[in-house]
Order: sequence, then C-alpha cells, then structure tokens
Amino acid sequence: MVATSPRKMSKVNPIASINQAISINPKHDKCMHFIAFPKAMGRPWPLKFKIFLMMQLAAVLLFVVVFQVSAASYGQTVSLNEKNTALEDVFRSIEQQTQFTFLYDKLALKKAQRITVSIKNATLETALKDCLKGQPLTYRIFEKTIVIKRADDDGPNPDPSAIVASVPFQVIGKVADEKGETLPGVTVSVKGTRNGTQTNIDGAFKLTVPDGGAVLVFSYIGYESKEIRVDATRNFNIVLHSGSKSLNEVVVSGYTTQSKQDFTGSAARIGADDIADKPVQSFVQALAGQAAGVNVIQPSGVLNNPPVFRIRGFNSISLSSYPLIIVDGVALFTGNAGTFAANNPLADINPADIESMDILKDASATAIYGSRAANGVVVITTKKGKKGNTKVNYNGWYGLTKAYNLPQILDAADYVMIKNEALVNGGSAPAYHLQTLSNGSTVDTRWYDYAYRTGASQSHDLNISGANDATNYYISLGYTKQQGMMVQNTFDRKVGRVNVEHHLFKGLTVGSNFSFSNSMNRAPSTGSLPGQAAQLTGLAREAMVLPPNLAPYNEDGSYNIVGNSIGYGANTILTGYYNPVVLLDLDKYSSETTALVGNVFGEVTIVKNLKLKTSYSINKSNIENLNFTNPYQGYPGYDSKGSAINATIRNNRTDWTNTLNFTPTIGKSHVNLLAGYEEIYTTADSWGATRTGLTDNYYTTFQGGFTTIVPSGNSQGQNGFRSYFSNLNYDFDKKYLLSASFRRDGFSGLSAGHKYGNFAGGSIGWNMAEEDFFKNSSLSKNISSLKLRGSYGQVGNLNIGDFPALSLYSSGLYGSAATLSFSQAGNPDLKWETSKKLDIGINIGLFNNRISIDADYYNNNIDGMILNAAQPPSKGIPGNVITTNIGSMYNRGIELNIDAHIIDQGKFKWSANLNFSTLKNKVTALASGADIYGTGLDPSNITRVGYSMGSIFVVKTTGVNPANGQRMYVNRNGKTVQYNYAGTPQWTYLDGTAAPAMDAKADGVIIGPSIPTYYGGFNNNFSYGCFDLAINLGFSGGNQLYNGTKTTLMDQRFYNNSTEILKRWTTPGQITDVPRVVYNDNFSSGSSLANTASVEDGTFVKLRNVILGYKLPPSLLPKNKLSSLRVYLQASNLFTITKYTGTDPEVSSNGDSNAAPGVEKNASPQARTFTIGVNVGF
Amino acid sequence: MHRRRRAPLPLELMLDFKKHQIMSIFRKQLYKLALLGALVGVNTACRKDLLNTVPLTNISDLTAFDTPDRILAQVNGLYASAKVGTFLGGRYILYNEIRGDEFIQTKSNTVTGLNTWAQSVNSSTTEVTDTWSNPYTVINKVDVFLAGLDANKAKVSATLYTQYTAEAKFLRALCYYDLVKVFAQPYTKDNGASLGVPLRLHAESTNANNDLARSPVADVYKQILADLNDAEAGLPLTYSTALLNTTRAHRNTAIALKTRVYLTMGDYDQVLSEGSKIVSTTAPYQASTGVNNKLETNITTVFGGSYTGAEAVLFFPFSTNDAPGVTSALSYLYTNSPGNGEYYLNPAGTLSDPVFATGSTDARAALVVVNGPNRWLNKFKSASPYPDYIPVIRYAEVLLNVAEAATRKGDLVTGLNLLNAVRHRSNAAYVFAPADVSTQSALISTILTERKIELLGEGFRVPDLQRLLQPLPSKTGNGSTAPGVAVAASNYIWPISVNETSTNKLCVPNP
Repeated sequence: MVATSPRKMSKVNPIASINQAISINPKHDKCMHFIAFPKAMGRPWPLKFKIFLMMQLAAVLLFVVVFQVSAASYGQTVSLNEKNTALEDVFRSIEQQTQFTFLYDKLALKKAQRITVSIKNATLETALKDCLKGQPLTYRIFEKTIVIKRADDDGPNPDPSAIVASVPFQVIGKVADEKGETLPGVTVSVKGTRNGTQTNIDGAFKLTVPDGGAVLVFSYIGYESKEIRVDATRNFNIVLHSGSKSLNEVVVSGYTTQSKQDFTGSAARIGADDIADKPVQSFVQALAGQAAGVNVIQPSGVLNNPPVFRIRGFNSISLSSYPLIIVDGVALFTGNAGTFAANNPLADINPADIESMDILKDASATAIYGSRAANGVVVITTKKGKKGNTKVNYNGWYGLTKAYNLPQILDAADYVMIKNEALVNGGSAPAYHLQTLSNGSTVDTRWYDYAYRTGASQSHDLNISGANDATNYYISLGYTKQQGMMVQNTFDRKVGRVNVEHHLFKGLTVGSNFSFSNSMNRAPSTGSLPGQAAQLTGLAREAMVLPPNLAPYNEDGSYNIVGNSIGYGANTILTGYYNPVVLLDLDKYSSETTALVGNVFGEVTIVKNLKLKTSYSINKSNIENLNFTNPYQGYPGYDSKGSAINATIRNNRTDWTNTLNFTPTIGKSHVNLLAGYEEIYTTADSWGATRTGLTDNYYTTFQGGFTTIVPSGNSQGQNGFRSYFSNLNYDFDKKYLLSASFRRDGFSGLSAGHKYGNFAGGSIGWNMAEEDFFKNSSLSKNISSLKLRGSYGQVGNLNIGDFPALSLYSSGLYGSAATLSFSQAGNPDLKWETSKKLDIGINIGLFNNRISIDADYYNNNIDGMILNAAQPPSKGIPGNVITTNIGSMYNRGIELNIDAHIIDQGKFKWSANLNFSTLKNKVTALASGADIYGTGLDPSNITRVGYSMGSIFVVKTTGVNPANGQRMYVNRNGKTVQYNYAGTPQWTYLDGTAAPAMDAKADGVIIGPSIPTYYGGFNNNFSYGCFDLAINLGFSGGNQLYNGTKTTLMDQRFYNNSTEILKRWTTPGQITDVPRVVYNDNFSSGSSLANTASVEDGTFVKLRNVILGYKLPPSLLPKNKLSSLRVYLQASNLFTITKYTGTDPEVSSNGDSNAAPGVEKNASPQARTFTIGVNVGF
Repeated sequence: MHRRRRAPLPLELMLDFKKHQIMSIFRKQLYKLALLGALVGVNTACRKDLLNTVPLTNISDLTAFDTPDRILAQVNGLYASAKVGTFLGGRYILYNEIRGDEFIQTKSNTVTGLNTWAQSVNSSTTEVTDTWSNPYTVINKVDVFLAGLDANKAKVSATLYTQYTAEAKFLRALCYYDLVKVFAQPYTKDNGASLGVPLRLHAESTNANNDLARSPVADVYKQILADLNDAEAGLPLTYSTALLNTTRAHRNTAIALKTRVYLTMGDYDQVLSEGSKIVSTTAPYQASTGVNNKLETNITTVFGGSYTGAEAVLFFPFSTNDAPGVTSALSYLYTNSPGNGEYYLNPAGTLSDPVFATGSTDARAALVVVNGPNRWLNKFKSASPYPDYIPVIRYAEVLLNVAEAATRKGDLVTGLNLLNAVRHRSNAAYVFAPADVSTQSALISTILTERKIELLGEGFRVPDLQRLLQPLPSKTGNGSTAPGVAVAASNYIWPISVNETSTNKLCVPNP
C-alpha cells in the first residue's frame, strides 16, 4: 500500500501534502488499528474514524493518480527543437505531443542542467534518453506516466555541504505550538516562491527547497509567523507561538473577523497563553499589564472580588465604567453579584476555555456595538477543535496564597502605653492594662493570626477537542477549589463547556457554544468590598485595630465577650468592637451562582460570498446570596437574636442576532459588507427575606426556627434593546483600507420619542509598506510593514438602568397601612449619550516583523453624558438626582505597544512586550457645574469641572505644631489653624484664639488625579531548550492615592495603631509628623476630615508574575500516551517598588467606583501566591 | 420529499430529464430555505413591546392619582417618608439629644453619631446631609401631592380633599420647623432676622429651579404657622379608630404643634391661646373637643406597646414589616438589651435628678434600666426589628409648653397646676419644694427640669437649650469627652449641607 512506500512523487502540491501526510505518519499504525478493531477499543471514536476514512480515500485517489497513468504503449513519436531550455519545459513539450504525463521530484530536477536538443519523430524512449544524457537523472515509465528520478536514487547520500551550496533538497519536519501540541494545517512555504505545503494532521511536513539559502516561512492563523533559514538542516522541529502580537493575526471585532493587517481600528488581542497558568478566579485578573490602554486593578486580596477594569480611562461618571464583555456573542453580566461574599459574574467563564480576547478601544472597533460601547468592548472567543487527531489536554495547578504586606502594628505593651498616654493627654485616667493569665503569661494577641492564613488552592481543567472537515468540537471540564488568604474565604467552581460546529452540508453550518457553571463563594465579613469600609464586622479592620492586650478566649475556653463587644480583659473601657473569633466560628456569608451561557447558531451561504448567520444566545444566572449571623456577637445577629437572610437573584438575557455578510472580491478590491439585526431582552428579578429572632440557638440556617420574617432584597426589572446595524470593510489591494459602520439602536430605558439613537463610525488605513515605492526604497529593508490609520465615531452608553426616564411612585407601609410615594423623578427628555472617539495610529513592523510597534493617539470626547444630575436637596427630588444628559469630559492620551522577538536563534529565545499608555482625563461640564463628592463616611474624592474625575480632595495639613503637638491645617482663607480634640474650643488659630472648624468641603483642596496618568506592562518570555520563563512587570503612576487605612491605623480611639505612632509628639519643640495622642481623637489622624498627610504618590513598579516552565522533551514522554508534558512554577506579587506606604498601590476599596477611585480604606491587603502546575497533552 | 401528481411546472417540463437531479438540489437547498424562512418568521414575530417595558414594581406618575385608594395611600406615604429612621423615626431625635448632655457614647462609631456627639460635624458629615435632605424630601412630596390632588380634585370627596390637603400641610409645617431649628439661628436670638432655610413650596420634579435663596427665619416660621393654621381648619376632629387618631394628624395635632412652635419663637401668648383650645382650664387636663387627648394614668403605658392611648397626640407607627432600620432605631441606640448599647445616660445629666435615684417612687424611674456599669433609657425597648412607635407629640409636652408659657406670662398658678399634672401622674404624692415653685424664675426652672425628666430621650434637649439661647454643655464619659459649645460658636447650629451649597448657588453656608 501507498503508506508503506518510502518515496512519493508528485505533480500537484496539495495532493503531495496529503500524500506526505500519510507516508510519514508515525501514528498510522494506530489508525490502522482503529480500523481493524474499532470495537476492541471499548468505545467508538466516530470523528477520528471519519478523519481516518477521509485520509484513506485521499490515499487511494493518489494511488490512482500515480499508477493509473502508467503508459501501456510507448508507440508514439516526439520531435524536439530546444536550445538551452530548462528540462521542465522540455518535459512539458513532450507531454503536449504525447498522452504521457511526467511525474518528477522538483528537487531532482533542480540538479539538472539546461539542455539543447534537436530530434525529429524519435521514439519517446529515444527522446528521453537524449534529454537526460549527462544529467544525474533516470526515468521509468508506468503506463502513461513518465517518472523522472535521480540516477543516484538508491546510492549513498549526497554530500550535505554540496547541498547547502546550491542543490535543491528535501526537508522534513514537524510543527507544534509552545505546549508541544502538533499543529496541522500550518502553511510552510519557501520564501519568495509559490513553492509550499501544509502540515498534515500530525503537524508534519515535507518540502523541497531550492538550496540551503532558502528561508522557510511557517504561518498559521492565530500564531506568530516564523521564518527559518534552511542551511544544512534537513529535519525541523518548529514551535509556533500563539501570537497576540503579530501583524498577521486576526481581530475579532464583534460580528466579523478581520486580519490585523487590514484592520484600521485600535484593538489589543490577548491570547490564551497570556492568561494561562495564573491562579485567578476570572480572566480579567490576568489582564493586568497585558495591553496598552487597559487598566486592571485587583481591589483587594478577597477572592473573586470584581477587578477594576477600565479601557482608556473613565467614560462615565454616574454609570458603570465597566467595558461591555461579549463571550461568543453573548453579553455577560458584570459587577458584583454577591451581597455577602464577593462574586464576580465574569468568573463563571472558565479562563482555560478562552482562546482569545480582543479588546476594542476606539470608535471604529467599538462602533459595531454602538450604544453599548462607551467603555470599550472585550470580545472573547472560546476554544474550538482544530483539525487533526483528537486532542486531550489536562492543565492543573496547586498553589499557596498569603497576605502580602500587612501593616506593622503595636504589640500589647506598646498599645497599653500609647492608649494610656492618650487618655492622660485627654484629661482622663489610664484605663488600659496588660492582662496576665493564671499561668503567668501576658496576653499579646496577634489578631492577624486569626484573620489570615496560608490558603491552599487547586485547579483542574480537562479538555477534549478535535475536528474534521465537517465538524469541530471542544469539550471541557474545569474544577477549581481555592482558599483565600483570609480565613474561610473560598471559591469553588465547577464548569463545563461544549463548543461544536458542524457543516451540515455545503453552504450550511450550524453550531453551538455552551458553558454551564456553578461557583460557590464563601467569605467572612471581609469589610473589603465597596461600601464596607466602616463595617464593624469587617475582618480586615478588626484584625488591625483590635487591642492586642485582649484575648479571643477566656481562660476557661469560652469566648471573651461582654454584651455585644469583646470583653474588658484588664482594661476598664469596653471597646464595643466584636470578638472576631465568634464571628468567624458562627457567621456565614456566601454567594453561589449557577450560570448557563451559550448560543446556537446557523450560517447559510446563500450565494458565493454572501452568508446569512443567525445566532440565539442565552445568558442565565441564578445567584443565591446567604447570610447567617449569630446571636452572641456581631451585627446584625446580636441585636436581632440571630439573623438569617436568603436572597435569590435571577438574571436572564436572551439575544437574537441575524447578520448578512457579503464578502466579494472585485479585482483588487476586497469588500466585507455586514448588515444585521439584533434584539436583546434582559430581566433581573430578585427576592428574599430576613428572618430574625432564633427560637433556639441550635439553628444556623434560614430554614431553621425564627420568630420574625420580613421581606428583603426584592426587585424586578427588565429592559429591551433593538438594533439595526451595518458595517463595511473595504480594502483595495491590501493597501488602502476603509471601514465604516452605522447602527440604529433602540433601548427601552430611554424616554418615549428618544428611544432610538444613531451611531456611526469610520476609519481609514494605508498599508504603506505594500506600495511599490516603499518596497523599492531602502526603507523596506528594515521596515517590513507600515500602516497608518485613523478612526472617528460615536458610541453610546447603555448602563443607565431600566426606567430612568419615568417618574415613578413606590409602594410601602405606614405601620400597617398601604402607602404610595413619589420615588423617582424621571426625565422625559432622556436620550442617548454619545462619546466621540478619535484615534490616530500607526503600526510598524521591523526586521521581518520581529519587532512590531503599535502607537496610537486617542481622544474620547463624551458629550451629553448621562449623569445622575445632582439636585439641591432642598428640591426634595427622590434620591436628589435626575438622570440627565448633561456633563462632558474627555480622555486623551497615547498608547504604545512594542512586541519584539529580541533573540530568536538557536535554543535561547527571548521575546518581550512593552506596553505603555497615558491618560489625561478632564471633566469639562457637570450638571449646574456642581461638584460631585466621593462616597463613604469621609469622602476623599471630588469630581469637579476642569479636573480629572474623582480627584483626591482633602483638607491641607502643614504637619504638627512643634509647640503643642497639634495638627495644623490651612483653611479656606489661607489661615493656619490647629486642632485639639480635648480643647475648648477644639479649633484655634496658632495664637490660641477660636477658629472656625475646618470643613471637609469648604476647606478641601484638589491634590491630584486618583487614577494613573500613565501605566503599562513589560512582559518577557524566555525559553532555553525545554525551559520557558515568563516575567511580567506592571507599572503605573502620575496619580495620588488616599491611604485611608493609614488614618485608621493612627486613630486615637481604642484602635491599635501602626508602629508609626511611636513617633508621636511628646515634648515641646519636637519635630515630628505624628501629632500628640489624645484619646478618642479621630480627627488628627484624618479618620474624620481627610487630610493631605494620608495622600501619597501612587507610582509603582510591580513584579506581577513569574512563571518558570519545563517541557519534557518528546523522547522522554511515554510513547503513544502523552504528546506533551510541561510543568511550571508560578509566583505572583513578588515585589512592588513604590513610595506608597499602604498595603498595595493597587488597592481600591471603593471597587470600580468612578467617583471615588484611588482610595484604600480598611480593606484586606493583596495576596502573594505561589503555584506549581502541569500542562499535559495526551 | 413527499411527491404528488400535479401539473408540471415549466421548469420541470423544460428540464424533465433532469428532474431527479433538480429534486436532489432542491432537497439540499430546502434546509437553507427553511432557515431563511425561520429567520424572517422570527424577525416579524419579535417582541412588539421590546422597547416599551414598564416597571412591574412601581406605579407611574400618570396613574398615581387614579383612584381614591391610591390618593389615600399617598397621604400615608407622606407620613411614612417623615418617619423614616434617618429622620423623625429615630436619628433626628437622637441627634437632638446627643448634641446635648444627656447621653454618653460608647462605641466611638462615626456611623452612629460620634461626630455629632463630639460637636465635630462639618458640611459633609452624613448626619448633616441627611438631616438637611430628609425633611425636604417630605416637603417636596407634600408639594407634589398637593399639586396632583388639585389636578385630580374630582377623584375624592370635597371633605377628603380638604382633609388630605390639611394633613399634607401639617407635615410640611412639621418638616420646616425641624429644619429651621437645626440649620438656622434660634428665632429668639433676633426675632427670626437670621438666615433660615430655602422655602420650597412648589412641586419639583425636573432639573429646573435649582437656585433658591434662604428665607429669613421669621419667614420660615410664618410659613409654618400658615400651614398649621390651614391644617387646623381642614383637619378632621377625629378619625374612626384610636390607631388613626394616633398616627394621622387631627385638629388637636395641629394645635398641639402650634404650642411647640410658638414656644420656640418665645411667643408665650400664642402658646396660651393655642393651648387653651386643647387644654382644659381645670384638672383633669384634657382636650374637650376633637380627640379626647389627655395624660395616661401611667407613663409606662405610653411606651408600653399599645401606643394608641389618649396621650399619643401623634406617634409614628412602626411594625415588623415597616421597621426604622436597625442602626437608626432608638431602641438599638439607647438600650443595651435588646439594643446595641450605643448611648447610655450621662450620670451627670438629668439622670442625677432624684426622680431617677435609687428607691425613687417616680414611675419615670422605671423608664431607666441598669445594665453593666451604666444606666440606659428604656422608653424604646421592643426587640429587633424595633417596631416601637416613635412619639412626635404627646400630651405631656403640651401641658409643659402651656405651663411654661403661663408661668412666663405670670400665671404661676396655672404653671404649677400643669407642672403638677405631669409630676403627679408619675408620683402622685410628690410635693415640690416651695423654693422651686414660688417665684417665676424658680418655677420656670422647675418646669424646664420637668421637661428634661419627662421628655428625656425624645429629642427636646437641644431645641430647648437653643430656644433659650443656652450653650450646649460639655460631657465626659469613660475615656471620652466632648466639649461644650458656646452660643456664639460657629458650631452652635449645624452647617448647611454641602450638597445644597454646591448645587444651589443662592444658598449661602452658615458662617
């Protein structure tokens, strides 16, 4: 059979590739085995079987092609009259005169010399002998085919050096990805020729190259192309990197896919590998520092706390700035779904299932999402089966996580000393004492030990994928069980995915992508989520401020509690704060999500280049938020004698999209015309109840015995969205590029008559490097690609809620009587807001694209910004806001992204990505010009016309008065005033006369922007032989942070203090920046009345991740069992270089808040993790 | 494909010999056609109301006045918005107490009023911004209601129209009174010449009319009295049930509030004039028209749980399903059990009065409980979710208002009689020392002391100090102290909310 024949000759390249595929398929015997004993395998492998059948068919066909043509009779004559003619041309002439066909190895022919021959009516054999006279060639005739062979075919191998010189020869090789997975269908070509082939299902190829100077080009969609000079090598093992950064990659811009070369918008693509191997809960966490213009901040070390995610800065004030996130066409829910424990809905998507993420930043890219695109769009594509053998992959890791950089606080002795000093300074008697136990030891509790731990986590992902010509499929299962660094903080997720696509028959494709997940988030009351900074049960704060001279347990083992407070110990003052051990033992907070996200679609090719696609998606998540608080201690359990709250949220979204896509090529013009219709309907229902008053303290769940039940957490909303959209991508000769889109969107939440809005965007591009003048210039030597592009367009914002346009009344109770009450002032003029986005960019590829540079200038002008326009409270408008199109701002900056294969020779490889972005945000108009203050008890942010949104805004302190240890402030009149908590009056001028009290707002000053004005990442990938190493650095700066935790740590209530407090003022004349301590003083620290002493530079450089991997050489792998095996070690958050003195310059206690970013207040620090993982391909 | 005989189509005739192939092609195309058809079908059958969603849990302003029931529900809604926990249902009362000297904070918790207790609020402190915005929320609801009711006059009887209008105006008066007390200089300081608060009297529901200057204190009082006079004229004499007589304003309610307002203005004649409408000239003192308001025989009954007795001129009702919000509930704040023990009674305050001494036979001593080293006010004592009714006006206050006014007008007999009415209800055998009641100033002082005892914790402490232009006293607890505030100090009254001054350009802050 063919497969056993060592050499094949071919005339037609495509056949050759299949031919070769079979001939050198080392696993062929396995396939044979399947055929012979399919049932003996114990389970059917239908797809594989089909592929095999296909291969067999191809092989048989080839056999026929080769041997059917054997010449039956040579009785034909040939005349030739050629002068210095290539042998190939002579053969063609013979073919024309006879019924014979030549089959030859091009390699063999290259060795031949040109000939001069003149014969008339000679026999075929004579003619052939004449032609091959003196040539290193011989021939054989099979029926109607003349096969030309090398004369020395069976002889010894030629001298390799001779080959390098100029002789064509054959090379073979295998192509795999960086994980060792073989890649079928990779195009292998000899650079500058049309000579090429594709790899077979095992990633193998065989190709004749003209000489050793030839350059092989390996290219594959989604991977970085690779060029290798042949030299003396005959057997290649090529590794292609799934490239996010190559100019050859594609951009999935929503409803269409474009090659990046033809793409005129601004987008960043993040590949699967950039988010792989990191111990995260959601893919967003892995995006930090990966792309220009994308800023991701993990707000705290609490598991599954939704990250701050901004693309090109803020794009809204009152509405969410979260980007629109689309997975396989389905818009995900974003935000925090957990009432009691953090629960990021984005974690319902398994990061391991993600093939690529396209982050669309400018109007051209986002306009196709029109009204939903103000904050940018993230288009996520999940994995598909690829042609070739069925692939089975397992990825798993085990990791440890620990709190990083906990504040240094006082021990019991120092605590007692400081607090008593504060009491005496305030005119009271000492009240704090060290507690001695009966065994003679002194109580010195390190509360951190009760709040934090080393958490152990593990994650397992198994996926099976494959494809043939008709069908591709991807099935995965994922399980992750993670422990946070905070005790009792866990995250468990089980997720399964089935992606399948089938060509029903020519012109009709159907498919489906479905993910089903269950995530369970459990946590203590962390106090680290937005709005929780002042929560008394917050574990992060409790662990810092609880007196170290108090013990969690009494000596008899019982809890140390008195009423609703930790007990006195040896003190005479009751703190009123809870004993966290009781809370940790008895309280429960959880949020569980069961989510189904998926779609079914069909695509019909109506006529050539015209496709109709329809897709129906559902995104359904049921979230159950549970809370139980015990009756012994804490809130709200203590005063309500036990409290249980159950609340269910049911989110449901359906999306029906129909698109018509016309992609004709007319001459050199390539057109991609898209028209579509989309309908989205979203509902969010929630219901729940609170039960209080345990009938028996035995019960710990909602279903137990309680005396009282009241409804809680009930709401119901729905909104509809309808869109007619179109998009045109046009290029002429791949040089001149044009893209335009227009969209008409309707949203139910807008006012009658204003429900529809029109959004248009367009962009142009010029691939300058494709121009002849450029190719002919010296520039082309180094510059391999050069594209200029610009885009402009309008996008809108949809995050406005369900019914902001309507004036509404709400029902309630007055005792037990029914009430109806004005609850929302609507806006009958509410219409779409429009951001006008301008982007000018350049893409440069240098040295065969070894270095590619993307640079952009962007300017997003947001006008008619939908704002919760602040009303004077005296107007009594419910909530004091009316949703209004008012306000404007801009985000401007530059972005730079450089990808470089710095070293790509031999065993050692180094590629790097540097991305850098700047951001200037400025608010240019607000409702009535009124400032918008940050949220929380003591706001430290302001949004004011002329400044960056959410700028740090506090009162100015000039330090500590050396004369009396009082903190000095500068008031609105420029006068210095000082504060003495125990004084009457408390506020005085420096001469001691009474001064008006400082006012947070009237005396506040803007210190600077709170979000970074520049940020970026520096990502390095090294490999040496089997080793790979990734080092990801992130940096940002130009912003101010408000270290609210510092104010807590310097607070002179009973709080334990930072060791910094030891520098306090004690004697007249002493120069220090820590004021004299006065008991209960919550002002001098800034706990109340935020001041500049806690405002710090937010600039940092952080080593985010280091991953060291080792891939076992194939020779060490058990044959036929494993195709690849890689083990790796990962460490995150290893160090941060910063002047910021808080736990982490990336902490954001207010989460994704637009109005109050850059604030750390009483939240848990970040985690540092170490993991060990394995990637296995079977 | 199901085949049946029919006349051949021209195409079939023409290509009859290829019929088989045609059918085969047609079969293949059928899927496409079906899919196309399905698409078209779906698109035409798409949700018609997709963009016209309506809220299922709210009622549109267009239909809010459609039925008498909805209008009645709106009246109840006005009361309900006045009694929210952050306003008259709890926090307003708390703040008016803890700025004074009767309570000591225990938790050092800024969320539950530490900065108010320590006299260190500023224009953005939550207590300030809430106390500014809550009354205005009610006021605008009143204005919106009055406008809507006028437009829907036909939906209710003329009687009900008059009554509802009067009830709304009563609540507007109550809210302006509570606002102007906190954010403006006392009327008594300069007869209301100081800057008061903006007078919003028209329904607001749009972005217009942001700017409105503060009216003088006198104008605000004038508006309060105008509303109360209208209310007195329009309110019903009585309601059908004791519960309604307690929780909805009737004519005596408006009059009772007027005695308080006039007392605050120092207009003692008017206190007496209004008082005479609802306080009989002789014991047992009671209202002889309308609801028969009078003292309960035992003060503990007032706070005992039924709340609907004759003394409760206006109490705001709460229920398990209509609770004040945990950290705003007076029971949570004032008591240690079942509450959270946030504020205990200052031993150096009124608690030092013999009424509360050990062995006291005064019934009011029973309203104080010992827990741990401290004593706690026990007027509000229902367990979580704290559905205690919260008093707005009770008859004892009216008697003390009139007693003080009478005394100040020289009628010491009436003054003492009314004082005794209040004292003897709790301690029948008690005889005031002659020195405490024999002179006008002594009697005034005794009446003021009786107010402190009787109304302890009900939110009268600071208003009483301020109408009498007295400083706010300092206080000292276990490790925590708060300074006194002089009458001339800038923090004697609260700053105007920064949310107002930043959006209402005509509203000037307090100096």
